[in-house]
Amino acid sequence: MTGLDYLWQALTPLNILLALAGVVAGTVIGSLPGLTATMAVAVLVPITFSMEPASALILMGAIYTGAIYGGAYSAILLNTPGTPSAIATTFDGYPMAKQGDGDLAITLACVSSVVGGLVGAAFLLGLAPPLAEVALAFGPVEYFWLAVFGLTLISALSEGNLLKGLIGACFGLLLACIGVAEISADIRFTFGSQVLLGGIETVSALIGLYCIPVMIDLVATPDRHLKVTQKAKGFRLKEALKISWLGKFNLIRSSVIGTLVGILPGAGGSIAGLVAYSEARRSSKRSDSFGTGEPEGIQATESANNATVGGGFIPTLVLGIPGTPPDAVILGALLIQGVRTGPSLFTENGAIVYTFIFGLILATVLMLPAGLIIGRYAYKSIITIPKALLVPTVAFMTMIGTYAIRNSISDVVIMIVLGVVGWFLNRFGFSPSPIVLGLILGRIAEQGFVQAWTIGAATEDLTGMFFGRPISLVIIAFTLISLFYPLIRKRWSTAGGTANAD
Amino acid sequence: MQIESKGGVKDLAGTIAAVAFILLASLALWDTTTMTDSDSYVFPRAIAAAMIVFCILLIAYNFINGAGDNAETDAASGAAGVTSTPRRVGLVAAMLLSSLAMPWTGFLLSGVFAFGAIMLFAMYDPWTPRRRIVFPSAALVVVLGFYTLFSKVLLVPLPIGFWFR
Repeated sequence: MTGLDYLWQALTPLNILLALAGVVAGTVIGSLPGLTATMAVAVLVPITFSMEPASALILMGAIYTGAIYGGAYSAILLNTPGTPSAIATTFDGYPMAKQGDGDLAITLACVSSVVGGLVGAAFLLGLAPPLAEVALAFGPVEYFWLAVFGLTLISALSEGNLLKGLIGACFGLLLACIGVAEISADIRFTFGSQVLLGGIETVSALIGLYCIPVMIDLVATPDRHLKVTQKAKGFRLKEALKISWLGKFNLIRSSVIGTLVGILPGAGGSIAGLVAYSEARRSSKRSDSFGTGEPEGIQATESANNATVGGGFIPTLVLGIPGTPPDAVILGALLIQGVRTGPSLFTENGAIVYTFIFGLILATVLMLPAGLIIGRYAYKSIITIPKALLVPTVAFMTMIGTYAIRNSISDVVIMIVLGVVGWFLNRFGFSPSPIVLGLILGRIAEQGFVQAWTIGAATEDLTGMFFGRPISLVIIAFTLISLFYPLIRKRWSTAGGTANAD
Repeated sequence: MQIESKGGVKDLAGTIAAVAFILLASLALWDTTTMTDSDSYVFPRAIAAAMIVFCILLIAYNFINGAGDNAETDAASGAAGVTSTPRRVGLVAAMLLSSLAMPWTGFLLSGVFAFGAIMLFAMYDPWTPRRRIVFPSAALVVVLGFYTLFSKVLLVPLPIGFWFR
């Protein structure tokens, strides 16, 4: 069979319908705070058991890709990441919505997600086997340095006060330590409370820290939630395409970052989005406007998080190691179907794999019309619903969404308490983003650090363990560049100005 | 509720928060003394120590720089206009009470209570006869809709409530 045959096989009416239905269902589920892409895929997996493996994969891939994109809606319109992958979308998406450009931000997120999804799928199609080796090259110390690299984003998120950003990140890192320690199983910071034994659930913390402060302030004034422009501007697709074309290098770079991070087991869309955002900010001519409604920020995050879909499938299909949590669910569904993943999958079951990859590309393309229509509807709903209905609806969604993560009422209470803490801290000049960053990266950083420390101590080469591995050195170099680039650039521009004056 | 400083400290609110964070970090450090495995306490101890250092630096910075520009950091608030603290407290109280009552009242009843109470706190327009009918009806549709979606479609075991067993 040739590539064209696989393409035609993916384009059967049933597969097109499944791809469209999957994208729509995924987008809707992903847009609800608390319902993650993993949950979207897990909930709908039983439907696929009676299907052909390729069709089942297409449906699951479409749900996954739709859910990752859907997370952008609430990030942009409510300052609440629908999925953890959309954390960095809030940084510029919500300010854009506040300025009356929420419709443009949603269309931009849709276009960027499509580009990211296509780049990820292209890597999966062409370079899956060699790239899968990258996943194996990453050891604990590389994960540790990757988390440290992610933490350097604090300097970008601190809104002019680095010390407050660092304190916030430490607070997030300490929150991540609550509960049973992952390596030694010691109980930490629970102070005898049963409620805290399970730790702070990341998604409920996200909802609390981002959404509750917005609602607390929303209810306090009669002002409208978002600025509404007088004239309806439609999808603003032309504008979004123009911005996307101008930011094409940012889009491609972020998509490649997303794919590569997606390949790393356990890293996921949130880290991909944060790393891509950090890089976009570092290399942008308008880096100062990041965090205030900069379209490049949305492009970076949304292209990167959707690229993790294709990237995550690389180790899943080639090595049988899930790249992201939804991949683990999909892997389980594949095993139930009798499909054995591994290097031989591409040769022995080429029909299934390549039909699926073309199906994933199809679903990503279908995300453009579906996403634009759903996004337009979501935007119109948010700006037209009276405040007396919008606030309780969002509050109820946060409660039910948080409960659904672990079926825990304690998580709902923790979410509300963290929201109140976040509101006060915001008043005191502490942005919620560094706290969330610490919370997400804390577990990865600690696990990587302790494992690397243990291996280094056992081999009596701690320095070599942390600073002697090539990939670690590359990440350390990027971390240093990310930290000191603003300083270097300032010095360059000063030197350039002096030279010109001479 | 932005805390103004008229005296000698640049950012009084930030300084107060930094002191609170020092206490929190000290509490964390004290808790690490109960841990037996070094794998458990190395990381949190390092983070708590770093947090104390950053807080001390922030306090010192605020004292050295003295009163001056009180940076407006209240990004998410609508502080420019008239704000209502009772409504804020009401929203949080309604959410907390309904969550804590959930084991007894169940998710549905708690949800209806939370929705209704928050709707009252968020209402700024007059209650016209039309609104008196439409808004509560919409509330019921939303609560029942989400409840059905989660419990019947997504099969999330939402609490039924001790009173209804």
